[in-house]
Amino acid sequence: MAHQAAPGANTRLFHPGYEGHSQISARTLGFWLYMLSDALLFTALFAAYAVLDTPMNAAGGPIASQIVNPVEGFWQTIIILASVTSYSLATVAMKNGNRSGTMLGIVVALVLGAAFVAFGFNDLASLAAQGNGMDRSGYLSAYFVLILTHALHMIFGALWMLVMLVQIPRYGFNEMVVARLLNLRMFWQFQATVWVCVYIYVYMIGA
Amino acid sequence: MHLQFPGPWSPLLGRLTLNAIPYTNPILQGTFVGAAVIALLVVGSVLYFKKVGYFWREWLTSVDHKKIGVMYIVIGLVMLFRGFVDGLMMRTQQVMANGPHASGVLGSMHGFLPPYHFDQVYSAHGTIMILFAATPILTGFQNIVVPLQIGARDMAFPYMNALSLWLTTAGAVLVMISLFVGDFSAAGWVGLIPLTELPYSPGVGVDYWMWAIQISSIGTTLNAINMIVTIVKMRAPGMTWFRLPIFSWTTLSTNIIGLTAFPVLGVALALLGADRYLGTHFFTAGMGGNLMLYTNLFWIWGHPEVYFLILPVFGILSEVVPTFCEKPLFGYVTMVAATFAIAGVSWLVWLHHFFTMGAGPDINGFFSIATMLVGIPTGVKVFNWAFTMYRARITYTVPMMWAMFGLFLLLAGGLTGMMLAIPAVNYTVHDSVFVIAHFHCMVLLVVAAAFAGVTYWFPKLFGFKLSEAWGKVFFWLFSSGTVVVFAAMFALGFQGETRRLDWTYNTAWMPMLLVEEFGMLLYCLSLAAFAIMLVVSIRDRAKNRAGADPWGTSRTLEWLTPSPVPFYNFAMTPQVNTRDELAWRRKHGLENAKPDHYEAIHMPSNSGLPVIIGGLSAVWGFAMIWRIWWLAAISILAIIVCVIIRSFDKNEGYHLQPGEIEAMERDLATGMITSEQPDRSHNNAIHAEAH
Amino acid sequence: MAGSHSDPLAHPEVRMGGALRYIAGFISTVALMGAALIVTMRHDMAYQSYVELVGGLAFLALLSQAVLYYGLDISKAQIWKSVSLILTVPLFIITVGLTVWMFQSLDHRTMLITTTFQQPTLLQ
Repeated sequence: MAHQAAPGANTRLFHPGYEGHSQISARTLGFWLYMLSDALLFTALFAAYAVLDTPMNAAGGPIASQIVNPVEGFWQTIIILASVTSYSLATVAMKNGNRSGTMLGIVVALVLGAAFVAFGFNDLASLAAQGNGMDRSGYLSAYFVLILTHALHMIFGALWMLVMLVQIPRYGFNEMVVARLLNLRMFWQFQATVWVCVYIYVYMIGA
Repeated sequence: MHLQFPGPWSPLLGRLTLNAIPYTNPILQGTFVGAAVIALLVVGSVLYFKKVGYFWREWLTSVDHKKIGVMYIVIGLVMLFRGFVDGLMMRTQQVMANGPHASGVLGSMHGFLPPYHFDQVYSAHGTIMILFAATPILTGFQNIVVPLQIGARDMAFPYMNALSLWLTTAGAVLVMISLFVGDFSAAGWVGLIPLTELPYSPGVGVDYWMWAIQISSIGTTLNAINMIVTIVKMRAPGMTWFRLPIFSWTTLSTNIIGLTAFPVLGVALALLGADRYLGTHFFTAGMGGNLMLYTNLFWIWGHPEVYFLILPVFGILSEVVPTFCEKPLFGYVTMVAATFAIAGVSWLVWLHHFFTMGAGPDINGFFSIATMLVGIPTGVKVFNWAFTMYRARITYTVPMMWAMFGLFLLLAGGLTGMMLAIPAVNYTVHDSVFVIAHFHCMVLLVVAAAFAGVTYWFPKLFGFKLSEAWGKVFFWLFSSGTVVVFAAMFALGFQGETRRLDWTYNTAWMPMLLVEEFGMLLYCLSLAAFAIMLVVSIRDRAKNRAGADPWGTSRTLEWLTPSPVPFYNFAMTPQVNTRDELAWRRKHGLENAKPDHYEAIHMPSNSGLPVIIGGLSAVWGFAMIWRIWWLAAISILAIIVCVIIRSFDKNEGYHLQPGEIEAMERDLATGMITSEQPDRSHNNAIHAEAH
Repeated sequence: MAGSHSDPLAHPEVRMGGALRYIAGFISTVALMGAALIVTMRHDMAYQSYVELVGGLAFLALLSQAVLYYGLDISKAQIWKSVSLILTVPLFIITVGLTVWMFQSLDHRTMLITTTFQQPTLLQ
């Protein structure tokens, strides 16, 4: 090969003192890749929803416009975005080394996230109570599973927040805690991103 | 649950009753006795030689990428054997059950397998070969080779690496349990819809299939993340992108596919699971379900999965061919470009698995052309290998022979693939055994490359070479078996034999069926040759002792380490100066250069949690399959608790001191094996157990 | 590996966070969703152009989140996240787009869709 030089006096064969990569960067990149994988999971659910969103697949049951309410969805949008903002601001407090500020932001995010999930479950429960549960039709199956998958992610994130509320006072901002808080920030923001897609596609275009 | 399934259900055992154990089936009785004897031998010898602690410390709790890779390959080979036995049963059944007058034994009308049993055999064969044999074997190679090739000490996330392994194992364990408790899916490895729905498959077979795949594919996704981060973040200084060995490039692209395609499979199976467990109507035949939606989602994963398997194979060929041609690989840059072109196009072709759905000429045309486009980068690769071999000093070692046979299979499989890409042809041969013969050329290319890889990298890991003579016997038996079986199968495809037949009704097929059976005999003999090769090689290991570079002509960084590779890989991080670093160092007489001093190395500690989580996942899968809700709830909670416990574990590994490294490097130079870690690396839990 | 003794709070991804950035992300997303809501409630656009407009607003919202929330750019700390996202976005489009195209055509050819009564969906 043309670019192969012969070894000279300055050729190094070993690299003493090599520092390697930063642990935090590896963890955030790894988690980011997981999120892309998760995004493909939602993509597949959206594809399924698109196929099943026809009157034929409603099988005589309600179609999208009969069950979604874009105005209520807008309140949900504001709640989840506020929760994400609260968590994000918690990491700004972390940047300043402020433990109690970080924990306050997480607690607020947790409460708002719980409100969002409760809102969603309430919607689904009242639908199911009217006999329009997920076993009513192909369309409702897709609707329920899409909303529930998102809610499940939120619950998982909430559990993660609870763990961090224990770890921050216990360990302080060490490398592992900081990496987890950064990953959780991405994860929580990602829930808002998915919700934007759900809101536009299910609540608006369906309305 | 309001869902209707036949048979009893109790809160304590779910659907599990004594009737679920097929103790009346003579074939399964024999299998059970065989499996029990092997299991007793393995467990007994471990106990007899007092190796329990050794296995726990050095293997089960290991986070060393090489040991994890070896365990992946061992699991893959065991499952490859299981899948082979399934194949042997299918071939034998089709010969025995030919024509209207074929007699039957063991209670079958024709042959020796009743239809329902035969259906389980082919479903298990496909599922096992793709997901529990090929995937773990290739993942194993990636685990072993990539960190060494890029000059790293380990994977980016060693603990998660172990977790991936044990999740894959949990899936494999579930498939094996289905042999003796309940039954396996009878709906094909693709899950023919709506046959997999609860009303048509009310048993637990589909559930076994579904949960086994679901659990193991979580492992595959985690492994993909690990591989990508390792390659992006952990290359040694000087290892620029265009110095990266081709195997590492193909690993990167294949794991990009793994990362993005497996979630779609997860969704397809989860929605099927929702239909079976929650009564939804995604894919049901009525109530607004859409059958083709399942097929669509399955193949959105399924086709990229094909390239997920084939790209690392191309990587192995690209390592083996230059080594035994004593030349740099022809067209390195085009090889990298072709790898990524294949990975990209792999996402645009999935409908060619169901052209006959009737989506219309525009759509079939689009997918047909996209499929044919794959031929261009693949052709580039074939020419690159051919030009590497052109006017080279080829050494016909066992790995090289496997690689050349692999090229032959790639040509046969690739050209028939081009035929199948034409919708008009596809309509004619759809679901015939012509398709089966085509894709077996491709998956046997995977097997050929796997054996090339096993013989090529074996001395690196174990410090001695496999027997060349028996390796060649194995090669010739296996490759001629392949040619005989699948040449006949192409012919049967043209004679109109469709796939999945438990009764081959047409007597005109008999000659070719017999030829296929003869090929299976060759395969059986090759299996014996493989076993003899292992025994002979282990017996003569002192004679076949391998140095750092046992082939003498290898080119990449993994051959710079001593054989067997010490657990810390490189005593001092190497500085990479060029592509094919080792070939360059050898050319300038630098291949034996040692660093003038050593530095402390940070190593991760072993952990028992991955294997525990893997075990809990298998329990969880079993509980879900049999609908034992209390056990499912407990095991999923236990998994979550384990993950949280791990996050509170402050164990940040340990440091290997320069003096220790120097002593170990000295031992290695004199041929002593130092692959075991020093005692204090074990974490406290293990110490407590030992005392 | 070595090099883990530096201050974790000095990591670029920690430094990246800023109150203004996140509040701007909140406001921009709420504003874009609000605009989409108004367009939806007015019900006075043709289906095709309505879908394009709302889809465009969603795209802007996602773009603003990519920049303001995730802080994606081509700096050394973030380049691999940006690259991997750019490689993945076509897959989102391919998966949903080709699926919709496929089933749209299939439904028409098998005459499953009757266009008499209901409002349109993406499959029509």
